[in-house]
Amino acid sequence: MIEVEHLSKSFLDYRRGWVPAVFDVSFRCQPGEIFGLLGPNGAGKTTTLRMLSTVLRPTGGRATVAGYDVVDQPEQVRERIGFMSGGTGIYDRMSAWELVEYFGRLYGIADGPLHERMEQIFEWLQMNSFRDMLGSKMSTGMKQKVSIARTIVHDPPVLIFDEPTSGLDVMVARSLRKVIQDLRTRQKTIIFSSHDMAEVHKLCDRVAIIHQGRLQAVGRPSELLEQYGQADLEDLFFFLVDQADKVSGESAAI
Amino acid sequence: MRWKNVRTIFKRELKDQLRDRRTIFMVFVFPVLLYPIMGLSLGQLATAFQAKARKVVVVGAEFLPERQEHAGEGASSETVPLLTPEGKTFDPRLFDSLTEALLLEVECVPAKPPWTDAAERRTLLREGRADAVVLIPADLAGSLDAMDRTEIPIAYNSASEPSQLTEQRVARVLDRWKERIVEVRRVREGKPEGYDEPVRSTAEDVATRTEMGNSTWARIFPFLLVIMSLTGAFYPAVDLCAGEKERGTMETVLISPATRTEIVMGKFLTVMAASMATALLNLLSMGVTGFGLAVQAVGGLGDGMKSRGAALLQAPSLESLFWIALLLVPLAAFFSALCLALAVLARSMKEGQYYMTPLYLVALPLVMYSVMPGVELTVFTSLLPITGVSLLLKTLMLGDYATARRFFLPVFVPLVLCGLLSLRWAIDQFKSESVLFRESERFDVRAWLRHTVTHKLSRPSPAQALLCFVLMLVAAWFISMSAGFDVMALVAMHVGAILGVPLLLAFLLTSDPAGTLRLRPARTRYLLLGLILPITLFPQVCELRVLVEWLFPTPDILKQATGALEKMLSSAWLAWLVLAALPSISEEVAFRGFIFSGLERSYRPVWVIVISALMFGFMHVLLSLFAQLFNATLLGLILGLLAYRSRSLFPGILFHLVNNSLSLLVGIMAANPAFEGLSRILFRDKARLMFQPVWVALGAVLSACLILVLAKKRPAECMAASGRPE
Repeated sequence: MIEVEHLSKSFLDYRRGWVPAVFDVSFRCQPGEIFGLLGPNGAGKTTTLRMLSTVLRPTGGRATVAGYDVVDQPEQVRERIGFMSGGTGIYDRMSAWELVEYFGRLYGIADGPLHERMEQIFEWLQMNSFRDMLGSKMSTGMKQKVSIARTIVHDPPVLIFDEPTSGLDVMVARSLRKVIQDLRTRQKTIIFSSHDMAEVHKLCDRVAIIHQGRLQAVGRPSELLEQYGQADLEDLFFFLVDQADKVSGESAAI
Repeated sequence: MRWKNVRTIFKRELKDQLRDRRTIFMVFVFPVLLYPIMGLSLGQLATAFQAKARKVVVVGAEFLPERQEHAGEGASSETVPLLTPEGKTFDPRLFDSLTEALLLEVECVPAKPPWTDAAERRTLLREGRADAVVLIPADLAGSLDAMDRTEIPIAYNSASEPSQLTEQRVARVLDRWKERIVEVRRVREGKPEGYDEPVRSTAEDVATRTEMGNSTWARIFPFLLVIMSLTGAFYPAVDLCAGEKERGTMETVLISPATRTEIVMGKFLTVMAASMATALLNLLSMGVTGFGLAVQAVGGLGDGMKSRGAALLQAPSLESLFWIALLLVPLAAFFSALCLALAVLARSMKEGQYYMTPLYLVALPLVMYSVMPGVELTVFTSLLPITGVSLLLKTLMLGDYATARRFFLPVFVPLVLCGLLSLRWAIDQFKSESVLFRESERFDVRAWLRHTVTHKLSRPSPAQALLCFVLMLVAAWFISMSAGFDVMALVAMHVGAILGVPLLLAFLLTSDPAGTLRLRPARTRYLLLGLILPITLFPQVCELRVLVEWLFPTPDILKQATGALEKMLSSAWLAWLVLAALPSISEEVAFRGFIFSGLERSYRPVWVIVISALMFGFMHVLLSLFAQLFNATLLGLILGLLAYRSRSLFPGILFHLVNNSLSLLVGIMAANPAFEGLSRILFRDKARLMFQPVWVALGAVLSACLILVLAKKRPAECMAASGRPE
């Protein structure tokens, strides 16, 4: 389970000073739940998730993953998290099998259980046809599957997928969503970020809409639609974005 | 750090590198192919170059005695010919072999323009019509008969290398011709052999064949070893850091449970393996090629040259090779850590390549310096990271193990320290998110400067601390260049450079200059320690100074300079002001003030103390004597500890002041006969300021206790220290 409280992150830019990328973000995510993070590019989704994966240090607030603090116990957090994003590529000069094995070893799994688990994963994700293929020769779909295998090799309780379907064809994207749904039935805590409203609507139990580094709304999709009186998630999204822009415009005018 | 993770990462990176065609080519294929091909083409080139005959125009050959129909009657039978009768070459008897004679092609022309005209001759030489022109004077035969001295000018063009070589060969031919003429005269007049050559020097070479061989290799191997281990480290380092960023796998590793230190160590070991493999393979390939070439070359020489030639290329001894391999380890480690730290900075492979140029620009002169003739291992050269290793290798290959043993530690320790510091830097880089997730941005100097001055932090950064150190050295150098070596220069250096630079930077770059320079009151306990510790330490300081002086004697020039300075400091008060009071303030402000605060912002206390002490020692080497390095560094460690514990500048100033004052005071006292009685109680060797064993022992025990007291953690103060402003 994931708890995020007032999380903020600013970057120092010598021309603009401290630029906030994420500001005062709070949410919770339970086991057996897919939590959707919806927002346009540059809204702060990846920065938020990178802080949860301990790669970036928050400049304010706190976050715990599976009971461990991301700042004070980063190693324990990383052991219990499966993280996949546009930034986590796979090695060109390693085969699918070698790559998953390598990360399995870094997670401290002994070779016997590791290979057993890898056989299961390769079977489940139908990766046996390219298990000895080098990363450089794989198609985008194959690479994505290897990334998923890498993400779940240590059977983590928490999984974070940052825009996993972007750039995939419909077939692969669909099977990937299927995998994520399967993982939900195994009682994993899952965060799924996307800028595709329909996808989020279909997959997620609860969503957070993020824009300009701030959370605009959090809740079940149906409840949110009701609350703001919008027909679908897309309308809701643009409604909230307009609202946020208006507010920031007014504050700038003042 | 878990070694299991380091091993897993190392194995993967190694496998990855071995699958990279470019690495394989650079590390394995390139050296194995390069040298044989180079050797082959060099051989071809040499033969082509050698076979080319040079053209000599002999102007006025008709004036040569051998060509005069009415040569002096008495001399005709003994005339020594300069040219062959056909006039196409010089007489072969004037050369060592016929082949050599054929390399100078002669064209005889009558003494008429254009060749007799100086201006036209110059044009003809420039046009390459001749490589050298010999002008035979018209009265040559006559003056030879009269035993006058005649000059035979050789015209050549020194701007052209072939012409220059030809001139040298022709001059040698004329020399031999002269010797033979003299010989004929000697025999004719019945003089003994020593008549014209009373003394002849003969050279006797005592070097054995192995030594001769070693000296050849000693010139080439260290150079190649250094350059190749750098080259071997660079490419994999860029691939492992910038390459990972570029291919988007860096974040994948960062989110694994491996810590940053483990990741860096795994990568570091990979780069080091590549560096060592490159260096060793290059040496091996070059050695084999060189040996092959030598055997070939020796085959073409005369018998006398054969053994000498073979000796020159005798393979280096196993012992030398063992030493090479041993020294390669810290060298490769140093380069690997340095390349890794630089490569992390780069966002892409392309950017990584840019960093190669400055690295080579620094490394190459350091290596080149070591292969310059006459450069030997001294304290100074041994402490330069790259030069020292290169020179030590040279010394070892020459079989001078006594020198090598003496300088082993001065070379080894700085190298290992530099390696550790670079590794530490690399790990820090890996922990910095601004380095790992760097995005390209527009760099604007004005905006950056404005930002630096307006967004001041309360403490300087480590980079600014380093900047302060470098600026201090540069400023001190300029002041010493313009002011020379006298009292005023010394004062100017301390005030202008060592005190001025940190003060200026503290006001310019930080929002809290007083805090940065640690100008806060200290507890009485630390002030007392600052007062007493230098006194108890003093006998050891003196012992160490004598030991260092014995190990690395001060050059005479420096001794004279120091003596002259002492004479200039006529009054004891002036000496105290310039040599004790001023330095203790300026050096503390710089090293325990600005630099210490800067380092403290991102390093652990142990590293802050070690790095600031090393900088302190290094500055003493550059600004005064090599021998001060050890004393200054050791005192720097204690001063650092004192500064860290007291969190104030003042105990350090007091310590420094007492220490420097004692040096002066004891020197004056030992020289003054009035204190004869006291001196006898204190010293066992008054001239060298060595204390009685009892004082040395007592001082050592007391100092050890005091340092222990100082080093021991107190819970209350640790709390205070951890609350230091970020």
